[in-house]
Amino acid sequence: MIVIGPDEVIWILLMSILAGFVGALFGLGGGILIIPFLTLVEGVPVPLAVGASLVSVVATSSSSAATYVKDHLTNIRVGMFLEIGSVAGAITGASVAGYLPASVLFILFGVLLLYTTIVMIRARKVDFPTGTIPDKTSTILSLGGEYEEHSRNVVVKYQVTRTPLTLIITYFGGIVSALLGVGGGLINVPTLNLIAKIPVKVASATSNFMIGVTAAASSSVYLFRGDVNPLLTAPLIIGVTGGAILGTRILKTAPPSKVKIAFAILLAAISVLMILKGFNLPIVL
Amino acid sequence: MDLNLLISYCLRIGVLASAFLGLAGLISWVATGSINLSAISGSGVGNTIASAFAGNASGLIYLAVAVLVATPVFRVALSTFYFANQRDNRFVLITLVVLSMLIFALVSGISG
Repeated sequence: MIVIGPDEVIWILLMSILAGFVGALFGLGGGILIIPFLTLVEGVPVPLAVGASLVSVVATSSSSAATYVKDHLTNIRVGMFLEIGSVAGAITGASVAGYLPASVLFILFGVLLLYTTIVMIRARKVDFPTGTIPDKTSTILSLGGEYEEHSRNVVVKYQVTRTPLTLIITYFGGIVSALLGVGGGLINVPTLNLIAKIPVKVASATSNFMIGVTAAASSSVYLFRGDVNPLLTAPLIIGVTGGAILGTRILKTAPPSKVKIAFAILLAAISVLMILKGFNLPIVL
Repeated sequence: MDLNLLISYCLRIGVLASAFLGLAGLISWVATGSINLSAISGSGVGNTIASAFAGNASGLIYLAVAVLVATPVFRVALSTFYFANQRDNRFVLITLVVLSMLIFALVSGISG
């Protein structure tokens, strides 16, 4: 049994504000900061950290999705379609959580993060994909769209391609989300941008949109399993909601390439932490 | 009404209601200085939520969690009706598949 006093609640609240802010900026649920903080700094057991984090992920993504959807930045049709994969993945992940050793998962996840970082840096110039030929599924479901690019003051039209592959990857994104208590944005955003050829801002907003439903599926499993602690969860919900509102306001005006570089640096730093944790090496924080 | 606005309001109201309940729970915890940390489990859901209405800190926070988790589920259900109204049968089917998986996750949690 962990003891949580007013000091811990205040620290969790402050960290949650930061996590919500960063989460909204990069299409992450914020869990990527919350999990290391809860497990490494506060000594919370992994299932409780993941359970509380997943609930906060629902709050962050729903809160920022509300703004993105209103601004027509989200591709709702793409989001709804890919939720078939991500929700199925979330249920799979939440069901097998506990059967796999956490150390293996942290190492695999760290490696995956490093790979994602490299892909993001190398493809940094693919901010406004043009000449994309939609695939069959994309055409049938009319997945293409348009959005207003404020930094250039133009309306950008785009097409969506390689939909089946994107759906399969979002399934695995759902598994990772449910196992590790993160939103899955770190898989969704590069997948939507680099594989489906969706502009990075739309990719980020659409990822946010999907994550709410994905984390709702997995957190309901954790909730009924008894892995959602009220004193961990309440400051997380309040903090991430506030932080996400701030983050969403900034994304609207920041240029896409800067958003991407900052995202890549964040991914690299966290991947090192994840791998160290997996090998049980001491991490000084 | 535009689907974008409908979804936006739905999400905003759900998150705000949940944050408000969570805050009320924390205030109740600070005021009473204690909290029943017993974890929620299948049969305890109804009781825990009932205790929220009595101002119980733990009950209020669990209610906040329940409202939060229900928000995206409600958003999917709302979209199903919208697409049905638009006679967009492919997307009615897609949203129904997502909705049934979400209901499966909830039901399997309660019975397990």
